[in-house]
Amino acid sequence: MPFPLPSRAAPGPRRRTLFASAAGAVLLVGCSGDPDGSGSGGRGVSAEDRARARAARDSERLAERYDAVGAAHPGLAERLRPLRAEVVRHARAFGGGVPASAASASASARVPGSASASEPVSTLPPSSAAGSPSGAPSARDTVPADPAAALAGLAAAEQKLADRRIAALAGLPGETARVLASVAAAGAAHAYLLTKSEPRPDARLGAGSGSGTEERE
Amino acid sequence: MTVRSGSTPTPSAGNGGKDGNGAELRALQAALAAEHAAVYGYGVVGGRVGHDRRTEAQEAYNAHRARRDRLVRAVRDLGGAPRAAAAGYALPFAVADPAAAVRLAAELERRIAGVYSDLVRAATGARRGDAAEALREAAVRAVRWSGESVAFPGLAERAAAGPGASMTPRG
Repeated sequence: MPFPLPSRAAPGPRRRTLFASAAGAVLLVGCSGDPDGSGSGGRGVSAEDRARARAARDSERLAERYDAVGAAHPGLAERLRPLRAEVVRHARAFGGGVPASAASASASARVPGSASASEPVSTLPPSSAAGSPSGAPSARDTVPADPAAALAGLAAAEQKLADRRIAALAGLPGETARVLASVAAAGAAHAYLLTKSEPRPDARLGAGSGSGTEERE
Repeated sequence: MTVRSGSTPTPSAGNGGKDGNGAELRALQAALAAEHAAVYGYGVVGGRVGHDRRTEAQEAYNAHRARRDRLVRAVRDLGGAPRAAAAGYALPFAVADPAAAVRLAAELERRIAGVYSDLVRAATGARRGDAAEALREAAVRAVRWSGESVAFPGLAERAAAGPGASMTPRG
């Protein structure tokens, strides 16, 4: 849904309107299934709802990026799987969800501009969309041909997202901040594991993730 | 608190309400106690770990000393009396060889991650960001030692296994 860019002649209110409609889209996501609203904010969507929606979205994008790297480099798939599984758990922790593996299927089936409340990011102005960790939607096109470079790119995306999440903690309610900080820490650990020079023969990347049974509600 | 799609409203625990300051001070003291234990623990690690990882142990030791000192200042900033280190600590398991030293280091970092996640919840302003940085550092060191990633560092309630062994003050 391409919004007309605010012209230089009419700067202020125009842009504000764009942001308002974007916030409205997030409101639909944040409060679906919670008709009473969270009650934490006087008007509209709370900062917490926005933060959670964004955190879920960021992790979903990141999982797609893992998929893209894994598809381009099947030899890395084994190494990536446990880390990706954790990224999916992160998305779920914030109310998001990524289908088992084909994360892009549902996204591409959606008609652009059809009031897709589940994709509020598409209505955001470019300035804020640029902050997304995965950058372009067509992540696969941008996966480097060199496996090491592909891993480094993934690690950089994890690191960048972790930085942004830590910077966004101020003002969040305590428990949400706690979980977001933990997820950021996990992302930094992923970045380390992704760039660690050699996968040791029995390197147990994410051996703890074998029990993917809990984590639902 | 995974999803809040149900009809139950989210509990508003720990968002710095009336006794926010008291909760923050308690969390700071808990983190300080854990850093005291980590400094002690890394002394043990340094004495047992293999040559190849001695530098890493030394760096972690230094990092925890620095964190401990920051926490002492933060407790004072909030008008508290910083908790002192115990004379000794009971190790969670015997550390007789380099492999056990590595396990202890990983355990120390897991425990540190737990207190800092609590501090993130209780803290406000710059101290919250500080705690998040400390949590991140601990999580990265934990995977460096153990090679194992965990989905939610510092969140014991989301860990697959039960809470790990703790280091208890002694003497």
